[in-house]
Amino acid sequence: MHWTEARDLVRKWREDNVRKSSELIEIWENSLKDKVHKLGDEQYQVLEQVCVGALDCHRIDVAEYCLKKLMAQFKDSSRILLLNAMELEAIEMYDDAIELLDALIKRDATNPAPRKRKIAILRSQGKTVEAIKELTVYLKRFAIDQEAWQELSDLYLSEQEYGKASFCMEELILHNPHNHLFHERLAEIKYTQGGFDNLEQARAYYCQALKLNRNNMRALFGLYLTAYSIATSQKCVSAKKKEAHNLMSFAMKRISQR
Amino acid sequence: MTDLLIDSNIRTCVFLPIVVITFLVGILRHYVSVLTGSTKQADLQQVQDSQVLIRSRMLRENGGTLPKSSFQMRRHYFNNEDSGYFKTQKRTSPNTNPMSDPSVMTDMLKGNITNVLPMIVIGGWINWMFSGFVTTKVPFPLTLRFKPMLQRGIELTSLDPSWVSSASWYFLNVFGLRSIYTLVLGENNAADQSRHFQDQMSGAAMALPPDPKQAFKAEWETLEICEHKWALQNVESELLAMKD
Repeated sequence: MHWTEARDLVRKWREDNVRKSSELIEIWENSLKDKVHKLGDEQYQVLEQVCVGALDCHRIDVAEYCLKKLMAQFKDSSRILLLNAMELEAIEMYDDAIELLDALIKRDATNPAPRKRKIAILRSQGKTVEAIKELTVYLKRFAIDQEAWQELSDLYLSEQEYGKASFCMEELILHNPHNHLFHERLAEIKYTQGGFDNLEQARAYYCQALKLNRNNMRALFGLYLTAYSIATSQKCVSAKKKEAHNLMSFAMKRISQR
Repeated sequence: MTDLLIDSNIRTCVFLPIVVITFLVGILRHYVSVLTGSTKQADLQQVQDSQVLIRSRMLRENGGTLPKSSFQMRRHYFNNEDSGYFKTQKRTSPNTNPMSDPSVMTDMLKGNITNVLPMIVIGGWINWMFSGFVTTKVPFPLTLRFKPMLQRGIELTSLDPSWVSSASWYFLNVFGLRSIYTLVLGENNAADQSRHFQDQMSGAAMALPPDPKQAFKAEWETLEICEHKWALQNVESELLAMKD
């Protein structure tokens, strides 16, 4: 691959937030590494991107190389120091990483990135309960950070706190009511929680997810299961039973069509 | 009426120099303001307040997608008389007196030095240096009303209004070079004078930092009267009615 093609591809990935780390490292080593000085000011963005990708793949040597180049150019930038902390994190020097992150938070209290890294460290150490605690404190400050709500929902799920997890999912739906995946996930949580009311809500959210994206296979299966549970439930009145059967046959038909 | 013929020396000695001077001054001002400018640090409390306000707005706009209980739980969190966020969080009104905050003072001074001062100095100098020239002609006829705008510095009643005087040409450049600056310096550069003028015209209300106390009160009110309407009421039948 010619280096200009490589540059364009890498730029596209960077702008679209694509995380193809191993491919990125391959491109870097094959075509970009020796030409990086030709990129002008863009090279620093590329270096940052490659550095994160290298950490993803645990290629500490590549990350180290990028970081050194970036450090030489920007000595005291928070962005570079954050990368540095991520590298420390990747080689499991958690205490040093936390120390560095604390310094970064102290420098700019409004920067969410180092706070999030700290929570990520707690999570990678397996301290789920502490991570949840920290994340709730964080979300009090940064109440519209969707990534964080998603993470918190995930953490609650791993602790089987379904009610709280569904609260986080609801928050995400508020921010992004047209994302079918959020609706599907909330429906799944409600279905897992069980109980007739929750099942009805799960059915509504599965339907919404399917309305937004009719090809969501997971939602189709979920809708089938939910409708089945509703139809066989003791509390179900006959009118609702009929509707549930309709939904079941609808989901069945869609699934078999694929 | 015979057409006016302009000496080609006016082009090289007046017309082009004015363009170049205004352009270079704009570039210079951009770099000076980059050097002297200080980025405003938002403090954590402000970030928190603005994010909470956005969250509450989202609740109002998209609350219908949540079940009624979830909606009310969230509204309770924001609006409850005893424990609601908008009721318990007391914010003091930001101090609006610039005299008591030296950083506001220096910011104002810097703004004046980079914006107003060069405008006066360069404008005055151009007026003195190149006064009284007819520099160019706009390629369309204009009514007499345009004379004071396009022929500043030339008081000739018989002159056709589409002729442009040197002083007016300078002003046309000051306001017209914006897209050139964007091309050369990128978006949001400081060279653009018209932006500064817009700031002044939109009034002091826009420039002041938003008052969280007022914003909380307004948001509390709108959220209080916001009604919950479950948007997924008929979603099952809608889904079944959808065509493939």
